[in-house]
Amino acid sequence: MSVGSQRSRWIWPGFALPGVLWLAFLFLIPLYVVLCLAFGTLDPIFRSPVPEWNPLQWDTTQVAFVFSHIFGDDGIFGPAIVRTVVFVLLASAGCLLISYPVAYFVCRFGGRRKGLLLALLIAPFWISYMMRMLAWVNLLQTDGWVNKALSAGGIFPVHVSWLDGRPSTVIMGLTYGYVPYMILPLYAGLDRIEPSLIEAARDLGGSRWSTFRQVTLPMSKPAVIAGLLLVTLPMVGDYFTNDLLSGSPSTSMYGNLINNAILVPAQVGQGATFLIIMFIVLLIPMIYYVRATARAEGDTV
Amino acid sequence: MRHSREHALSEDRSKDPNDQQRGDGLSRRSFLSRGAAAAVTLPSMAAFLEACSKKDTTGGTVGTGPAPTATFSVASPENPVKWPIFDDNKPIASGLTPEQNATLNVYTYVDYFDKGAIKSFEKKYQKYNVKVTLTTFEDTTEAIGKIRTGGVQADIYNPSYDQIGKMVTAKLVQPINHDYIPNIANVWPTYTNPFYDQEWQYTTPYVLYGTGIAWRADLVSEDIAAMSNPYDIFWNAKYEKKMSVLDDYRTCMGMVLLRNNLSVNTYKAEDLDLVHKQLSLLNQTTKPKVNVTDYTDVPTKIVSICQAWAGDAVNMVSYMPQGQSPDVLRYWSPTGNENMTDNDLLVLLKESKAPVMAHLLLNHMLDYEVSIGTFSFTGYQPPQNKITPEELVSSQFIPKNLASAVVLQKDWESGQHLLELPPDVDSQWQAVWQQFKAGA
Repeated sequence: MSVGSQRSRWIWPGFALPGVLWLAFLFLIPLYVVLCLAFGTLDPIFRSPVPEWNPLQWDTTQVAFVFSHIFGDDGIFGPAIVRTVVFVLLASAGCLLISYPVAYFVCRFGGRRKGLLLALLIAPFWISYMMRMLAWVNLLQTDGWVNKALSAGGIFPVHVSWLDGRPSTVIMGLTYGYVPYMILPLYAGLDRIEPSLIEAARDLGGSRWSTFRQVTLPMSKPAVIAGLLLVTLPMVGDYFTNDLLSGSPSTSMYGNLINNAILVPAQVGQGATFLIIMFIVLLIPMIYYVRATARAEGDTV
Repeated sequence: MRHSREHALSEDRSKDPNDQQRGDGLSRRSFLSRGAAAAVTLPSMAAFLEACSKKDTTGGTVGTGPAPTATFSVASPENPVKWPIFDDNKPIASGLTPEQNATLNVYTYVDYFDKGAIKSFEKKYQKYNVKVTLTTFEDTTEAIGKIRTGGVQADIYNPSYDQIGKMVTAKLVQPINHDYIPNIANVWPTYTNPFYDQEWQYTTPYVLYGTGIAWRADLVSEDIAAMSNPYDIFWNAKYEKKMSVLDDYRTCMGMVLLRNNLSVNTYKAEDLDLVHKQLSLLNQTTKPKVNVTDYTDVPTKIVSICQAWAGDAVNMVSYMPQGQSPDVLRYWSPTGNENMTDNDLLVLLKESKAPVMAHLLLNHMLDYEVSIGTFSFTGYQPPQNKITPEELVSSQFIPKNLASAVVLQKDWESGQHLLELPPDVDSQWQAVWQQFKAGA
């Protein structure tokens, strides 16, 4: 084998090096640190967490505590988990219901203004999530603009206390906060569908609805799944929306469990355990997505 | 972390949406009170350290194993502590010339140190060309970690009482030479011999915080202060979702204990069981918010009633929407032994490169005018002799209806302090709080 061919053999895999390093330093090593904290101990004087780097000496106390308090009589974490599932499902469904028509409209009817419309759709990304939620706090106050708008300028007095710890407000906040994350993949997926396929369906006698149901919708399924993943995964760990728009324990979510735990030095190990559980649970839809995508690509080939 | 101390009384800042964010999350007080108000006594420290020399895996949770409590004791008014002065960590000599071109670094909470105080200090000692910088932390746990590892080089630090013993033993702080701090005469005499640092060898007082109930008289029909047990208002279903309690386990659980005439530093399992039951009932009955943004939530009518630190009540005035009078605000706190009042401290770190100038800054912070500036900036009251409800009301510093938010020396002396809890007891407290906050 010549020197040149040996060199070229390493060039292309070499391009993966930055990605590998990125993965190692920003994912695998932090993940190991989280594991070491979950299975670690406490500083006897300062009560701060002490990670245990040697897996052979891992202590399971904190992990066992969390698992033993999820369900059953001692299931103090169970309600927050159930609440999270419900909130995330409803908010994800809300995102889909809002995003799909918007993305569809831009793709099919955007015409030359597609770029502009897309830019407007991603405009919320220019403002931080935190600031957008803070804006809602002002809008939703009892004397805020939402109530003023609902009261039609004071004709019908409305005094809804949106921020008093309502699940509906939290779900609304999650939906609003994550909608842009779903619009983009949906737009990309819908934009890739050949217009000729839709025209063919119509030429073959399909109505608008049946064409959408039998052609557009199935072909946009990977984009829907990608969009759902993009919004669902961060929603599960979200604590800020609930903190800001509710602040009541009656709407505490899984992210709040993590946040509450890591803010108490002696409970950091529990926080790490919550993170590991979330990571494992969220791997399932990720694996499903990867398999579904691979299957779709196989079908295409 | 964070709470109203981060909100100065300036109009500009009150309109800054970032202030609201800063007010969210975990408060300085949370950590201050989490550790709360005490320290490990020295005689027991060695034994304590020895007892703790084995790895502790309690995890800070109920029933997760024994904790090293056998020799653990805390400083309290009944058990005041005088910390030792070590041979290799003595105070500086008297009469030294302040360092030239020194840059003092104050390690403190965000927005907790009045920049006006810094300016006046730099001006006062401008012939020495002194500069003061601020480095901030979110909580004292983070701060101690950085001080221990040298991650932060600072001269002055804002600890809570419970850290003093640990810091003295670890020689992270240096004793104070009182000759440089004549302004101690300006503050309540009790701070020349506080229970947590007898003979004020290592600490000077900073600001006080009492705890009580704040409400809007235009939204609450009851006169809470006149109720036989004002704390009952938190369980009144009439105000469901119209109230908040402080996101601080010691302060909030302490409120439940005070409601039942129990010690706010209880070790008893039955007391904690009672707290657990009453907090669960609270979640079911009135579903309060648990946060530290009461100083904005009450003025903006997000809640009508809240558990509040006295400083929060003072800060509410500047958060009233335009056109609304602060006259509707009310504040009540108990008196005597049912009062819950604590204070923050300033200490001089061992590694200070300009200890003389650092002493002078400690002294400067006890100056009356500087203290008033601190009060105005943080909303929290320094324990100055001259500060009285009458004086603050007459100078229009606070409205008459909030005169009850001024902490009195007798309240501090007769009230209960949030003392440090032994680790296993603290774990029991944390478990109750964790369950409450999980909404279980």
